[in-house]
Amino acid sequence: MRTALYGSKMADTASGGSGTRSGSKHATTPADNYYLARRRTLQVVVSSLLTEAGFESAEKAAVETLTEMLQSYISEIGRSAKSYCEHTARTQPTLSDIVVTLVEMGFNVETLPAYAKRSQRMVITAPPVTNQPVTPKALTAGQNKPHPSHIPGHFPEFPDPHTYIKTPTYREPVSDYQVLREKAASQRRDVERALTRFMAKTGETQSLFKDDVSTFPLIAARPFTVPYLTALLPSELEMQQMEETDSSEQDDQTDTENLPLHMSTDDSGPEKENASVLQQNTSLSGSRNGEENVIDNPYLRPVKKPKIRRKK
Amino acid sequence: QTPTGMLLFRMNRKKGDKGFESPRPTTHQVVCINNINFQRKSVVGYVELTIFPTVANLNRIKLNSKQCRIYRVRVNDLEAAFIYNDPTLEVCHHESKQRNLNYFSNAYAAAVSAVDPDAGNGELCIKVPSELWKHVDELKVLKVHINFSLDQPKGGLHFVVPNMEGSMAERGAHVFSCGYQNSTRFWFPCVDSYSELCTWKLEYTVDAAMVAVSNGDLVETVYTHDMRKKTFHYMLTIPTAASNISLAIGPFEILVDPYMHEVTHFCLPQLLPLLKHTTSYLHEVFEFYEEILTCRYPYSCFKTVFIDEAYVEVAAYASMSIFSTNLLHSAMIIDETPLTRRCLAQALAQQFFGCFISRMSWSDEWVLKGISGYIYGLWMKKTFGVNEYRHWIKQELDQIVAYELKTGGVLLHPIFGGGKEKDNPASHLHFSIKHPHTLSWEYYTMFQCKAHLVMRLIENRISMEFMLQVFNKLLSLASTASSQKFQSHMWSQMLVSTSGFLKSISNVSGKDIQPLIKQWVDQSGVVKFYGSFAFNRKRNVLELEIKQDYTSPGTQKYVGPLKVTVQELDGSFNHTLQIEENSLKHDIPCHSKSRSLEMFADSPLLWIRIDPDMSVLRKVEFEQSDFMWQYQLRYERDVVAQEEAILALEKFPTPASRLALTDILEQEQCFYRVRMLACFCLAKIANSMVSTWTGPPAMKSLFTRMFCCKTCPNIVKTNNFMNFQSYFLQKTMPVAMALLRDVHNLCPKEVLMFILDLIKYNDNRKNKFSDNYYRAELIDALANSVTPAVSVNNEVRTLDNLNPDVRLILEEITRFLNMEKLLPSYRHTITVSCLKAIRVLQKNGHVPSDPALFKSYAEYGHFIDVRIAALEAVVDYTKGTFFKYFDTL
Repeated sequence: MRTALYGSKMADTASGGSGTRSGSKHATTPADNYYLARRRTLQVVVSSLLTEAGFESAEKAAVETLTEMLQSYISEIGRSAKSYCEHTARTQPTLSDIVVTLVEMGFNVETLPAYAKRSQRMVITAPPVTNQPVTPKALTAGQNKPHPSHIPGHFPEFPDPHTYIKTPTYREPVSDYQVLREKAASQRRDVERALTRFMAKTGETQSLFKDDVSTFPLIAARPFTVPYLTALLPSELEMQQMEETDSSEQDDQTDTENLPLHMSTDDSGPEKENASVLQQNTSLSGSRNGEENVIDNPYLRPVKKPKIRRKK
Repeated sequence: QTPTGMLLFRMNRKKGDKGFESPRPTTHQVVCINNINFQRKSVVGYVELTIFPTVANLNRIKLNSKQCRIYRVRVNDLEAAFIYNDPTLEVCHHESKQRNLNYFSNAYAAAVSAVDPDAGNGELCIKVPSELWKHVDELKVLKVHINFSLDQPKGGLHFVVPNMEGSMAERGAHVFSCGYQNSTRFWFPCVDSYSELCTWKLEYTVDAAMVAVSNGDLVETVYTHDMRKKTFHYMLTIPTAASNISLAIGPFEILVDPYMHEVTHFCLPQLLPLLKHTTSYLHEVFEFYEEILTCRYPYSCFKTVFIDEAYVEVAAYASMSIFSTNLLHSAMIIDETPLTRRCLAQALAQQFFGCFISRMSWSDEWVLKGISGYIYGLWMKKTFGVNEYRHWIKQELDQIVAYELKTGGVLLHPIFGGGKEKDNPASHLHFSIKHPHTLSWEYYTMFQCKAHLVMRLIENRISMEFMLQVFNKLLSLASTASSQKFQSHMWSQMLVSTSGFLKSISNVSGKDIQPLIKQWVDQSGVVKFYGSFAFNRKRNVLELEIKQDYTSPGTQKYVGPLKVTVQELDGSFNHTLQIEENSLKHDIPCHSKSRSLEMFADSPLLWIRIDPDMSVLRKVEFEQSDFMWQYQLRYERDVVAQEEAILALEKFPTPASRLALTDILEQEQCFYRVRMLACFCLAKIANSMVSTWTGPPAMKSLFTRMFCCKTCPNIVKTNNFMNFQSYFLQKTMPVAMALLRDVHNLCPKEVLMFILDLIKYNDNRKNKFSDNYYRAELIDALANSVTPAVSVNNEVRTLDNLNPDVRLILEEITRFLNMEKLLPSYRHTITVSCLKAIRVLQKNGHVPSDPALFKSYAEYGHFIDVRIAALEAVVDYTKGTFFKYFDTL
């Protein structure tokens, strides 16, 4: 007969968490009752898990320890899920809160469904209900979905279908060119205005009207230590844009309306508009110095070590 | 003593023309700068000049030196006494009673003459030690060694030291030589003349993180013993004038030109990507010049350095050029690209004529500026096309004509007598033209402009082939001379003189260009023609009358051939008229019969052009009727003729003019500058025709058709500037449209809303190019739409009584100006336009007039273009209050 000290399955799920409860058990308030009942249920759970893992008996201390660990673990899930849900300004945790919590705690969520449906699973009988709370009968709509096989029957019923069944509706995505442009323009304008106003509010400003500093706030002019850098270097946004922009992907709506990209090169006569020569042409006919691989340029040569000079 | 830096300088020359020979020809000079302190902005070094005395009793040697502190002078290792006196420091003595411009000008000219190296003078006078007098009498070599330092130089050498944390290299501190004409004496003692050549050894010891760029070949770079500094050793074996010596030191990024490995480019930290793009074109300019001149680039290497706070955009020196860093640009920038390329081409042209070939004297300057400007023009023609070239020539011609008519003549080749300047050829000016240093900057700019135009006139006379042969001859003679030893007295071949140049022309072409030279080079002034005509139907003759105004200042009388082109129904006919003293009228027989078409009942003449090839430096005011100008605009192929016609049509606000202009505007084959000009003319005509104008505001439907979406005509297409011609037109049209006015003399609401929509829907996300210039012009357009506020007895401007349209404009300007702080545009073009627009709003009484904003943008530390715009606004404000002050008197 083996004696369980540490549950084999539990060992990797229980991690941290303290909540050892100590103190007298004299009082028998409803809260205490509830606590005891819960504790008892958890003990049953631990015991059945141990049985499932092949233990025949266990020392009380071991069962108690495992129970304590399980309780801490579940408490931590609850606490953490609550934080996640509150972080997104909700009061009721959703499934994703739980999932994020489990992931955060190092639990491989993907293994859970398979574990829940394992064949050697032991079903625990419903805990004795002392004071069944009377749930007011709500108006039922539709047929509640029955429990699937892996959910014990004493678990609460599914809610009415209309509370979770979704009927996706498809609205035509806005594709009207004019609306899109309008939207993009006003969105950009709003962002710019908000941003500049924010900057103006949080920093020094100048104003065109002595009596009013808030209607047209100008961010104060500030000299640069190296003024040419900001003036000459493209901004990061522009750099990014340059990389992304491929002249071939001008926007579809206007593409056909745009003029031919390059001036035709047929020429002769003074009518030829020669500004096309300006086209940034980087391909060049070839090196003037041939295809030398080693560039000999005095500025690339290494700096010499000083010579020892002799005095005259 | 361990002198780390020294400058060797030597020269020799023979001045054929002037009959003047330097008593102290230098053959070689060493310049050594062994300490540069960026914190204190100081320089310490020495120079050593190798001098061959040409006269026996040479007991004093005069050299040029300004603002340098001279510690010690030795001649052949003997201590020498010296006197330093710079008369330009105190031009007029304090006690002098006369305080007027004329007195100052004369005194200043005298001071400059007193130190003129070409007359053997200088600020520094060294006494040759008596021990050496015998040595001198034997005409043996003297070595003059001068230790000097320079503290906080006010000119000649400019320090840029950003005020921030870090080492000088990290801060991007740099220093470079600069100045106008011969100003090398500002940073080391020398014979500061363009006509005294010598070979050079240049040494600079700088911080190990810095690079020193100077003339000639970099022979080696050696660390100092403590390994914290390094010395750059340069040798310049081609005889060069001290005035063509230059220097730039800074933590430069180095780029070896991928096409020409002997060419190296330098820029300030972080700008390397821009440098790569900007210089990627330079080799084509090299190829062009070498090809037309059939001559290799004369130096063994070439360096370009891009620095901040440049004195001028382009400065050319022997084998290197110093450029403003603001010429650098990325591939996304359209507008700056041609401007920068022009600067590069200008700099390179001056390498051949100006640096390699120098000048005999100041009065020969026009030849150098003329030739370099002329070959630069040839490059323009090849690169940007005939249209751009002709447009440029016309622009230059208009400029010089306007300047001379306003200010007085510009004389290219002044000849100075030995005596007083009683018969000063430039008595109309407030300054002497005897020295480059007494000229006004504007005069000198116009001088250069005229010089290259006159070269073009010579080309017209002798053909381009001969012209290029002359240049080639000058270059090959100089090239042969440059490799000779000093003693061979050949170096003077490297100096160009007016007489030598003219002799060369006559030898090569066999033509006599003396009258042309007399007209445009030896005398100043331009020609002013007034032309009108009548058609004599009976004789089928065109009676042309050409009058001249040669009495107004800045004019001269023209006698000689004048080409007139008459466009008749049957074709174009050229006539060469002989302009003589007394003949005003010229009868020109017509070829076409007026009967051929009914609509031309009056005459078979379509249009007439006087001097179409711009072969005379002139202004022409010609009278012909509106339909003739319209024909000229529509059917004449020359862009200059088209532009002339557009300007003339401003006076004929008729539906026919409107149609002609609109047609030109729509014609894609038409030169884009002509179309841009047509926009502004159309706006003016529309305003003159405001009571009878039909249809939408001028250009609106055209703009919509060209640049807006087909499905939603109020929305402009997303930007695509691949076609530069349409790009320039797209930029210009709104600016011109904003000048439209309704019957109340207000900008039509429709136009303002149109411009605001352009701003609103502007979308550059998919564009390959930056739209900063486009957006700047949209702001300019907003400013153009502003009209004077209706003011009720000078009420104070407040927000409450702000015009609602102005409110919309201000909204945009505020947003643009603020966004510029977060995402600055290239060269801050948008800030510049915003400042200008705000000044316009102030001036028109919509916003309280207040210079405070501009003053803050004018401060040091803002980008130069912004500062200039801000200062202009402050000046404009000051002018306004100034006149208001007088109004109240």
